[in-house]
Amino acid sequence: MDWVNAIVQGVLLGGLYALFAAGLSLIFGVMRLVNIAHGDLIVLAAYIALVVVQATGLHPLASAIIVVPLMAAIGYAIQRLLLNPTIGKDILSPLLVTFGISVILQNGLLATFTADSRRLAAGPIETASIEILPGLSLGILPLMMFAVSVLLIFGLEWIFYRTSLGRAFRATSDDAEIAQLMMLDRRHVFGMAMALSAAVVAIAGIFLAIRTNFDPSSGPARLLFGFEAVIIGGLGNLWGTLAGGIVLGVAQAIGAQISPGWQILAGHLVFFLVLALRPKGLFPRMD
Amino acid sequence: MAEPLLSIRGLKAGYGDFQALFGIDLDLEAGEVLALIGANGAGKSTLLKAIVGLVPCSREMVSLRGEPIGGERPDRIAGRGIALVPEGRRLFRSLSVEENLVIGGERAKPGRWTLETVFRLFPILGERRKSLGTALSGGQQQMVAIGRALMANPDIILFDEISLGLAPVVIKDIYAALPAIAATGVSIILVEQDVSRALGVARTFVCLQEGKVSLAGLPSEHDRAAITAAYFGTRR
Repeated sequence: MDWVNAIVQGVLLGGLYALFAAGLSLIFGVMRLVNIAHGDLIVLAAYIALVVVQATGLHPLASAIIVVPLMAAIGYAIQRLLLNPTIGKDILSPLLVTFGISVILQNGLLATFTADSRRLAAGPIETASIEILPGLSLGILPLMMFAVSVLLIFGLEWIFYRTSLGRAFRATSDDAEIAQLMMLDRRHVFGMAMALSAAVVAIAGIFLAIRTNFDPSSGPARLLFGFEAVIIGGLGNLWGTLAGGIVLGVAQAIGAQISPGWQILAGHLVFFLVLALRPKGLFPRMD
Repeated sequence: MAEPLLSIRGLKAGYGDFQALFGIDLDLEAGEVLALIGANGAGKSTLLKAIVGLVPCSREMVSLRGEPIGGERPDRIAGRGIALVPEGRRLFRSLSVEENLVIGGERAKPGRWTLETVFRLFPILGERRKSLGTALSGGQQQMVAIGRALMANPDIILFDEISLGLAPVVIKDIYAALPAIAATGVSIILVEQDVSRALGVARTFVCLQEGKVSLAGLPSEHDRAAITAAYFGTRR
């Protein structure tokens, strides 16, 4: 039963990794931009949630009402002011800018909040669980994270395939030059994509802050997990990203079951195997 | 004489250090069909790209109804009612036929062109509306590209290499649709390799050679030899 338990916990952890990854996948899909600062934006969202909770007394989950629109606005501003001027010339310039944003965010958070690790207390929900089989319990919080990530991916898919904004994203991704002739202002389309990504990041940041300790240097590891989930699932496929997150979560859970030291390594090994055997990921986008 | 709809004066444009156009003058009247001819590399596509803002140029070089618009952002120029059917179709590959058409029109002013009227012009597109645009044959893709431009209800449509790479029977179908499009009052600039076909549908023509206008006017004003000389740059 320990193994079954580990795998189920791994699947649920995969939901969180999918949340880390969905925004990354979206940005890469729309602008072919690898956002090195993605993990640090997740941590920024966690700190904003911390400040909001301390200032307002809201429950951490309810802080999303403020954190999500705030992060979306920050994402839009970063895109319009810092990234747009560099996009389109070559792929290195925007990559370096995101690297710079990452460094600035980490040091800015360090200067503001110190290196102490923090956590958001969510109350009884943190430890609540339901027993589905004798010896197999599911935590309410991991279950909720998984459900939210599935709902978010449904939502993103709906935006992508059923709305005018989604059409604009896909058209710009297909042919950014011709998309402009459809009266699409590329700068705004990219800004909206980053805003949407940052809104997902906000949810991921809140869950991160509830689930685990975080400090200003926690970002790069989240970027790595998100990146691995995207690559394992296949670039440009959001459901693939969820599957990639689950594969990564299960691999880590199985690794931890073997030996605690193996937890992170097992995830990296599976990532490496997928890269070696199926470089396009498990579920590449069908065109 | 009334002001031309589109007026180009001394247009110089190019790509980085490479200059492709050296002072082009061109007028397009409302409702006019103008054939833009010239050998490969003469600058026809660059001229169209400069008009729609994909290639930079100075503000005064392009005017629409007397208002300078040269070098504006492509989305702004499109919003002013100039649409391009690009060389090679360039459909959005992840969008269905219907979505390719809808995106052409959803930010534009409403007008006579809607999904229904485009499907009436090209019935095959209605039958294949749910297919991916890129799953269609070359000719059908060209119909989607034309429909996408029409959906914006533009005042001017620029067709770049409208028949390049298409089978003769398909070219006939595409050309059969042109009079219906022109009859709505839209002005057309037609870039075409097949000179006699282009001159057959156009009222006026402009011939480019190495980035300059080598001949312009009404097809009836010039004999075949003069047009050939202007096209290839040979002496008469």
